[in-house]
Amino acid sequence: MKNKSIKDVLTSTEMINVYIIVALSMVIGSINSNFLSVATVITLSRAIMVTMIFALGEMLVIVSGGIDVSFPAVACAALFVPIKLMVDNGINNVWFAFGLAIIIGLVFGALNATLTAVVKLPPLIATLGVSSLINGGMLAFFGSKEISNLPKAVDAISQKFLFTYTAPTGATYSLTVLFLIPVILCIGVALMLKYTMLGRGIYAIGGDQNAARIAGFNVVRIKYFVYMFAGAITGLGAMCYCILCRTANPKNLMGSEMMVIAAIVVGGTRISGGHGKVIGTVLGVVLVGLIQNNLIMAGVPAYWQKFVVGLVIVLGTSITSLKAKKIAQSAKV
Amino acid sequence: MKKKNIDGSILTLWIMIAVVLIAMAILKPGTFYKMTNLRSMIFQFPEYGIMALGMMLAMISGGIDLSLVGIANLSGIVAAKIMIGMGGEPVSIAIGIMAALAVGAVCGCFNGFMIGYLKVPAMLVTLCGLQLYTGIGLGITTGPALTGLPDSYKYFANGSIGQIPVVLFIFIAVVAVIYFIMNFTVYGQQVRFMGSNDEAARYSGINNLKVTIMTYMISGILGSISGVLITSHFNSAKADYGSSYTLLTLLIVVLGGIHPDGGRGNVGGVVLSILLLQLVAQAFNILQIDPTGNMKTFVYGALLIIVLCANVLKGKKKKAKK
Amino acid sequence: MAEVFLKLEGIKKSFGGVRALKGVDLEIRKGEVHCLAGENGCGKSTLIKVISGAHDPDEGNIFIEGKKVENLKPIDSIRMGIQVIYQDFAVFPNLTVAENIAMNRALMTGAKKMDWKEARKLAIEAMEMIGAKMDPDILVERLSVANKQMVAICRAIINDAKFLILDEPTTALTAKEVEKLFKIIRKLKEKGIAIMIVNHKLDEIYEICDKLTVLRNGEYVSNGDITEYDRARFIRDLTGRDIEEIKYSPEEDENEILRVEHLTRVGAFEDVSFTLKKGDVLGITGLLGSGRGELGDALFGLAPAQSGKIILNGKEIQIHSIQDAMNNKIAYVPEDRLTQGLFLERSILDNTMAASIKNYFKKGKLDYKAMEIATDDWIKTIGVATPSAKPAIRTLSGGNQQKVAIAKWLNTSPDLLVLNGPTVGVDIGSKSDIHAILHRLAKGGVGIIVISDDLSELVQNCNKMIVMRNGKVAEVIDNTVDETTLADMLSGKQGG
Repeated sequence: MKNKSIKDVLTSTEMINVYIIVALSMVIGSINSNFLSVATVITLSRAIMVTMIFALGEMLVIVSGGIDVSFPAVACAALFVPIKLMVDNGINNVWFAFGLAIIIGLVFGALNATLTAVVKLPPLIATLGVSSLINGGMLAFFGSKEISNLPKAVDAISQKFLFTYTAPTGATYSLTVLFLIPVILCIGVALMLKYTMLGRGIYAIGGDQNAARIAGFNVVRIKYFVYMFAGAITGLGAMCYCILCRTANPKNLMGSEMMVIAAIVVGGTRISGGHGKVIGTVLGVVLVGLIQNNLIMAGVPAYWQKFVVGLVIVLGTSITSLKAKKIAQSAKV
Repeated sequence: MKKKNIDGSILTLWIMIAVVLIAMAILKPGTFYKMTNLRSMIFQFPEYGIMALGMMLAMISGGIDLSLVGIANLSGIVAAKIMIGMGGEPVSIAIGIMAALAVGAVCGCFNGFMIGYLKVPAMLVTLCGLQLYTGIGLGITTGPALTGLPDSYKYFANGSIGQIPVVLFIFIAVVAVIYFIMNFTVYGQQVRFMGSNDEAARYSGINNLKVTIMTYMISGILGSISGVLITSHFNSAKADYGSSYTLLTLLIVVLGGIHPDGGRGNVGGVVLSILLLQLVAQAFNILQIDPTGNMKTFVYGALLIIVLCANVLKGKKKKAKK
Repeated sequence: MAEVFLKLEGIKKSFGGVRALKGVDLEIRKGEVHCLAGENGCGKSTLIKVISGAHDPDEGNIFIEGKKVENLKPIDSIRMGIQVIYQDFAVFPNLTVAENIAMNRALMTGAKKMDWKEARKLAIEAMEMIGAKMDPDILVERLSVANKQMVAICRAIINDAKFLILDEPTTALTAKEVEKLFKIIRKLKEKGIAIMIVNHKLDEIYEICDKLTVLRNGEYVSNGDITEYDRARFIRDLTGRDIEEIKYSPEEDENEILRVEHLTRVGAFEDVSFTLKKGDVLGITGLLGSGRGELGDALFGLAPAQSGKIILNGKEIQIHSIQDAMNNKIAYVPEDRLTQGLFLERSILDNTMAASIKNYFKKGKLDYKAMEIATDDWIKTIGVATPSAKPAIRTLSGGNQQKVAIAKWLNTSPDLLVLNGPTVGVDIGSKSDIHAILHRLAKGGVGIIVISDDLSELVQNCNKMIVMRNGKVAEVIDNTVDETTLADMLSGKQGG
């Protein structure tokens, strides 16, 4: 066997995602001719960009062998607390908003890391507890009223566009400048995972934590990095969300963990850790976003969407698990 | 199954309950120890208490069941649909409840099959399950709550026999059944064996697939009982009732001494833990420190983390002694 | 004589009052293959951890290449050229062969970047050095055990290893793979690398080692050229006793308990036939991969046979699952006690009842009283050293644990008891207890099959033995055979 055979490439999880995305697009396109257009691409890009940012952080955590269900709560805190402080104290500075959002993410990331890496609690339960802690605490101490008058400097970003496309119908579609953030993050994380020892260390501890320790990786430090980095980009993503919505809502994002984890798993990341690629996650997010945002176009009523998304996720996770099972049982070379 | 470490955590629970009771006796003796207050507490906890027993089973088997809320709502919706469709006859209530339980069993079997046969991690299966079952519920209701349930249906969650709420009897009955299953049946022992070491269980001739499916089926049925109570309580059925219960049930079982790695824990601890959390919640209400309920979420989260950390530290100490 | 690479003097180490090492001396020269032998719990693994810097010794001196080192840390040990290959190899299943091999070098040099080209180059170089052939881009999870070990060896040698420690390297290898491993070890030896192998299989030690050091209960017992040891001395030093020459010889009995005819499972064993008469303790032996373990798995329905007949007490039975086996009163004590045989956190009572819990469901509920009585009975009959049935099994010694694992099955009153490696990791005292139990059972009419590669155990305790080779029955012999001949039969050097 030399290099990867064509068959391996064609049956990889990434390619399966591509097939499904193409097939789904054709189905929706054949039902609704408006679908196959530049406008759809722009709308979809905008719709999935925040999920994409969250998914990147979560993917790192899962690859390292953990899981983090606290990020929606972290995101809510990271968007609401800075805006609240700015509005109450008359601060009008974009850097403050983003900076504080990232710091909040870092702090809670550090808390997650401490609980999972140092105290060694099961990550799911630990982060669930942290989620409740943050969400309850923030609503109790900072209030739960949505803030719709964002500070001017922050709100202004929502009107900065990379480009604007005018459809034949005359409607205009603009892509926000914030879209650069997930793009840069994706490239950065992909390079980090592939070409730095830190990135390889994340895979190593996800594959076999004990072996990683013996080999000389600082397991605790890598976990701190993973959870804190995930926290930081969650903060960043949350502020983007806030700007895109042009309002700071302290609970809208709660419950989004399901979609994000699903997109990651559909994208080929193994929930047990050690396996996962940025490109797979991007495809997974696009696929789930496509289903979530365009089923209406295909004639599926809005109230059946959750079910259809659930079905896709069940299929996606089953395929990934069955593949892993098959590899485990296959003949060894 | 008597074990020293479990007795330890049960003792802690008794102490914590005593602390709350004494604190309230000092702070608000008049309101807290009134019949109306006791009654209002009893009306609240069976809903999530029964759900917590399902979570307990899943966790003892070495898994987790995050789909309970989804199962509860779906069962409630199916029951409501049937009752409304049949015009609210008394027999429709019976059929509706049977259907609800069947829905719970089927959803649970699906979870169990995915976990036991396809070997997808329980966490992922039940997280997907939550989405799937909620999705079906949403599809059936098309969004808004289903109303117009028969009046006598309200009785389950809101009625009383004398001064004692009906739900208390339901809760006690369910606890008794689960207690019996866990302690006096072959399945109860097998699920503990599987949770302790599934490989050794297989080598001891235990049919892990059967035990897994059984576990999630019972868990699903408990979810649907809870769903019946929720719909009866609200007198309507909706796809997103009780969304905070997932965390709450997890907190209850962990606090009640169920080990997240599986195998260990018992019904008594979970029941005490249910009582403790209800007391805390009620104390918050009466002291009026938490009008929105957010403080409660905060305290629950903090409690969960503190209890887990304390357990870990206790375990370390024990090891050090050896 | 070659230069001394490592010298230990009076190494002592205790854990919470338990003295694991009570003053061990060791000297290892460059280009020498040194065997460290000792029974389980003799302090071998602690000693390895002291050398690799994972444990600090309480007392004693360590000299590496003549220089005294203090406060040895794992990374220092690696930098000085000491590499340990653990029993589980500590490789990453989710990474490629190349990356696994290159990983430690990168970590050692403190590199920040991952150089894939360099990794591939290093991997190919290392594989050439030891003559291994693997695709550098394949994920390690797809490799066989032997190839995973190759990866671990490659990883060790590219780090300029001067001293290689292999912890029980042959336990999971087939005969061919062992040969290949030894070839590699000889190659490394020629390059002047010092090698220490932890092993207690005498035949392998004779084949590959130059020097031998024996430990017992944390104490240094003896050391010398391999030629100074014969089997008798080796066993005496290892166990502290002379070889017992008692053999198990039951009275002849014509009653047949088990007859197996032409049993086949493709890829595991084929056309296996044998009979077991009342009173027999039947030994099944063979090298790893010979099908000995697979045969046991098939009898218990774990990986059922695809064709052939199994006749138990005169009745032909079908075994397609564990449930089938249990319904026909077949019991199986698996090889890996810790993960397959026992529930470590559970009590002795729970463990004893695990396979027979169904029998205690009476009148609609479980009868705890009966379970307690039965467990207490077994504790007495089988001689488990414990004050009661309550302690967790984890707290017992290996020997007592194994007794409970056997009691679990005896409580199902089996007609046939198959034991795979019944005394692995069991102390001498418990070992003879267990053998006595097996003999008693056999005389009482239970069919006993012992699957083992412990030749002295087989010769002393079985009255009949089957030697498996390449999935087939190669020899059927009685216990007049001696261990050396038996060893030759295993590898096919003697007999058909």
